[in-house]
Amino acid sequence: MLESKELTKVFGSKTAVDHVNLRLEKGHVYAMLGPNGSGKTTWMKMAAGLIKPTSGEVLFEGAPVSIESRKYVAYMSTEPYFYAWMTVKDVGRYYADFFEDFSYDRYLELLRHMELTEEMKTKNLSSGMMAKLKIAVTMARDAKVYMLDEPFNGIDLLARDEIRATILQYATQDKLLLMSSHLVEEMEAVADRAVFIKEGKLVENIDLETMRDEQGVSMADRYRQIYGHTEG
Amino acid sequence: MQYDPMRPIWLQVMGEIETSIAVGARQPGEKLPGGRELAVAYGINPNTAARVYQELEKAGLCETRRGMGTYVTGDGPRIDALREELARQAVALFLQKIESLGITRQEAAKMILKEE
Amino acid sequence: MFKLMKYEFRKTWITKLILLGVTAVAEAVYLYGLYTEKEGPLSVAIGLLVMLAVFGVLVIGLESVLTLHRDMNTKQSYMLFMTPNSSYKILGAKVLECGFSILITGAFYFALGTLDITLLLAKSGQLNQLWEMIQNVISQITINGRPLTINAEIMASFTFSLLTGWIGTVTMAYLADVVSAALLNGKKFNGLLSFVLFLALAWLTGWATGKITAGITASTTMLVVDGLIDLGFAVIMYIVTAQIMERKLSV
Repeated sequence: MLESKELTKVFGSKTAVDHVNLRLEKGHVYAMLGPNGSGKTTWMKMAAGLIKPTSGEVLFEGAPVSIESRKYVAYMSTEPYFYAWMTVKDVGRYYADFFEDFSYDRYLELLRHMELTEEMKTKNLSSGMMAKLKIAVTMARDAKVYMLDEPFNGIDLLARDEIRATILQYATQDKLLLMSSHLVEEMEAVADRAVFIKEGKLVENIDLETMRDEQGVSMADRYRQIYGHTEG
Repeated sequence: MQYDPMRPIWLQVMGEIETSIAVGARQPGEKLPGGRELAVAYGINPNTAARVYQELEKAGLCETRRGMGTYVTGDGPRIDALREELARQAVALFLQKIESLGITRQEAAKMILKEE
Repeated sequence: MFKLMKYEFRKTWITKLILLGVTAVAEAVYLYGLYTEKEGPLSVAIGLLVMLAVFGVLVIGLESVLTLHRDMNTKQSYMLFMTPNSSYKILGAKVLECGFSILITGAFYFALGTLDITLLLAKSGQLNQLWEMIQNVISQITINGRPLTINAEIMASFTFSLLTGWIGTVTMAYLADVVSAALLNGKKFNGLLSFVLFLALAWLTGWATGKITAGITASTTMLVVDGLIDLGFAVIMYIVTAQIMERKLSV
């Protein structure tokens, strides 16, 4: 459903993503793992069409990502990106204005779960509340692909459960979910596949239950095996 | 639920449901949550949840009625067999531990009977 | 497209509101000075109104350029570029919103100025004499051997060419800023090169306009043609800028 071919991005003298061939299929929740700066965010932004590749390409349903594919790909960045003047309601209206697959009713329901109200001003939200708002507005879209960059960042334990439940609620058979996180344990049960990226290169794209069954190792164990000596 | 991330998660969730059936917390013929509900309730991947039901069905512990959902089997003898199976597993685990301490089965049996 | 323009307006409307508010106060002082015949407040108000009319459109254009800059170089860029809108639409909304704002603001101050002068003329007394004096002075001035005439037609076409000139300048600033964000990003002397590009574009379009309008003698026609050429350049800048955004911009 989403596939990168020889995808490469160079920033100045640094190669952020290095000839990555990665094929992601619908019906799966992928955990994209790797230390900070390993290229996860850059890969996602290229798949979202926000960053243009230096070489290679990303295909969505067989065609290069484009303005058209943005209709079906919901991307959530780590950093807050809403306009400073926006209230929670304005954020929903904005999405409703631009995304045909956005449901305001679903947004309201998600807000209720997340204990957010429409009147709240985005610039006054705590980092945890902001993270919840980003999830709510992104998951209120009925997209084909969801790419969530660090959805658990800066969020307390209880809110993480809430976010995990929301993600699982909408991860249906016809959807593709890709989440990056450095909180590997948070992703252990939610994801069924893991994509490991190291220094811009793809290490592996593996089925987690098969790995547990055959090798008796957890995703966190595998993470340590792969990055153990590079992470300070 | 806390998982041991080194063992397949479907196996652990399945174990939990098996126990609930064996002890009668889930009655024969009782409707089980849908795949998605199970995923949300246990915080597990939907594919893992689907696998749990597949395996439970394979083991004859539940049955899926088309368009209706999944139900605990109404087969009483099968549930009795399950309880015995789980008990045997518990005994095996216990024996493994006790033998590693160098205690014989006879000694262990005495100790069990002495326990209040 | 309309939705994009709505948000472009939403990003800049506070400045416009402040401009309108200050203008309302200045106008009130003007009317007060005019009808109580107090020269102090009147001259302050006239000075302020002239300044607002001149700088108002400048501020609107500058803010639009700054907004584009933020929309490409800060996290809020995702907000705009994750929507399924092409760069042509995104930039088009900016050009149209800013262009209309400049034209409407310009027309507003032109109308207000006309109204205020009319009121001044209608009011008999010393002020009226002052106005006649000013007109006398103006009629002494000659350009290329012809006396300078000031009438509504000339003033209107002059305002038009001034406003379109500013719209053209704003689109050149867009182009320079997009080149900086999309092509020169991370390179040495990025800001300087982009500024040089802006100056070069301004010079080039000015030179080309001069060549084209050289043969026209009637001042009104010259001003209108000059304005239309500015708009033509604005369209060219828009197309080139959107092309670069579409192909090369990473946010």
